[in-house]
Amino acid sequence: MLLTNIEIIPGKRITKHLGLVQGSSVRAKHVGRDIMAGIKNIFGGELKGYTELLQESRDEATERMVEQARAVGANAVLNIRYSTSSVAVGAAEIFAYGTAVVLE
Amino acid sequence: MQYSNPHIPEGINTSQQNPLREFAILTGGLLVIVVVVALGLSLLVDHFANRIPFSAEKALTRRFETTTASQEMETYLNTLAQQLAQAQDLPPEFSIKVHYVDADTINAFATLGGNIVMFRGILERLPNENSLAMVLAHEIAHIKHRDPIRGAGRGVVIALALTTVSATLSNAVTDQVLASGGLLTALQFSREQESEADATALESLTRHYGHVDGADALFEVLEKESSSMAPPEFFNSHPGTETRIERIHQFATTLTGPEKIELTPLPPRFSDWFKRKEKKPAGASQRLP
Amino acid sequence: MQDLITFLVLLTFGYGFGRVIEARHYKSIISRENKFRGIPAVAIKVPPLGRPFTVALVQGNVVISVDYFKRFLAGLRNLFGGRVTSYESLLDRARREAILRMKEQAASQGAKLIFNVKLTTSSISQGRRGQIGSVEVLAYGTAIIE
Repeated sequence: MLLTNIEIIPGKRITKHLGLVQGSSVRAKHVGRDIMAGIKNIFGGELKGYTELLQESRDEATERMVEQARAVGANAVLNIRYSTSSVAVGAAEIFAYGTAVVLE
Repeated sequence: MQYSNPHIPEGINTSQQNPLREFAILTGGLLVIVVVVALGLSLLVDHFANRIPFSAEKALTRRFETTTASQEMETYLNTLAQQLAQAQDLPPEFSIKVHYVDADTINAFATLGGNIVMFRGILERLPNENSLAMVLAHEIAHIKHRDPIRGAGRGVVIALALTTVSATLSNAVTDQVLASGGLLTALQFSREQESEADATALESLTRHYGHVDGADALFEVLEKESSSMAPPEFFNSHPGTETRIERIHQFATTLTGPEKIELTPLPPRFSDWFKRKEKKPAGASQRLP
Repeated sequence: MQDLITFLVLLTFGYGFGRVIEARHYKSIISRENKFRGIPAVAIKVPPLGRPFTVALVQGNVVISVDYFKRFLAGLRNLFGGRVTSYESLLDRARREAILRMKEQAASQGAKLIFNVKLTTSSISQGRRGQIGSVEVLAYGTAIIE
């Protein structure tokens, strides 16, 4: 599966558009991470736990989008976008979407 | 097509100014604003408090009538209070009622409706009538100056203003600054009232006894009782005890009178009137609201 | 009184540690930016035509928290309005760090160029009354592998 956030790939022709595919993942942090983050909030610096959590969450969203694309018979997803929104206190939704296509 | 990645100079998206400078300016500015607003509100309350008739104040406290622990003590205190009120030219619509409370607290206070509360703790420690008169005259002066209603109004208005502001901002950290700024202003204001009450009390003592000797005994008692951990004057509602003693001595030097001054003793049966709870366990307990 | 002492201690710790951590982070950012100077990242959508290449989606993310002192300063700033200088360096650090991580990923795949770079910033609610104390920055783009 070819993933990209550009629209045209030189040397490759799009033979079929399969529409929008999307993947989302809502995750909450656990208390341990919260406590560490609380300490970091005094001194400043990177919250590694949150960085990893959001990365895992993003990977999952991408994976789900790819699953959709595979289900509709695509071999590439073009123009991928990510968005993050907090749905509740301590939980964030990561959303990935793109256009599923069949490339030559 | 040539793609390159040149070095971009630092400090375009960030400011290089030391954050401590900004911190000092902002904190100072906020404190000044809070103090000015609290001061303004206090003056406003003072202005309106003087217009509230004393009868309204009295009506407010009428239902808090109490029984007394010692009828003799209260009679004595009230007689002395009436004499001091006269010496102080208390307007006729003001009425003073002294209450005696059988508790170890070394304190006395004036409250709404012309009520003065004297605790056994302070009465036991006073050596003569002059010092007792100083306490009473001080509290009567508070009532004359309308300090209880001013204090109550000020407390309500400042608390209301602080709550409104911090609720609007809903910022946990600035609450800290707001609260401490408002509190310090309120304390400063009440220190002024205490000094004024002291001055009025000294004048009435002069009229009643012809001198102010013995008045400082009260503060010597307070000084002895207060722990060494006493907070600095800035954080306290009353002026420092030493300052107050000094003021009495200063006032005394302005008076001319006989060289030898006789202090007025307390009534001979004074110590019998305390009626401590230990002696009379049943029915003696009473408490003011 | 005790509240005030706790508050002042937190403020001092926040200021001291925050400054050290920030200085160290900037040093690391600058040295790594020089290391990856050979990989330009551009925000252009149209890829270079003519040469054949393969593509791969690359990304880098980071969550950075502001220290207690700077958060207090920002709170004060909220009253008066104006430039919140204490959050400027936080966002600057987060963006550059995210781009660097994206470049690291691209470099590991042998890419020489990243196309159509997008940056998204989101705040993570934290602390009493949901005050914003940390931001997440995600940088992603298409690595071009020749």
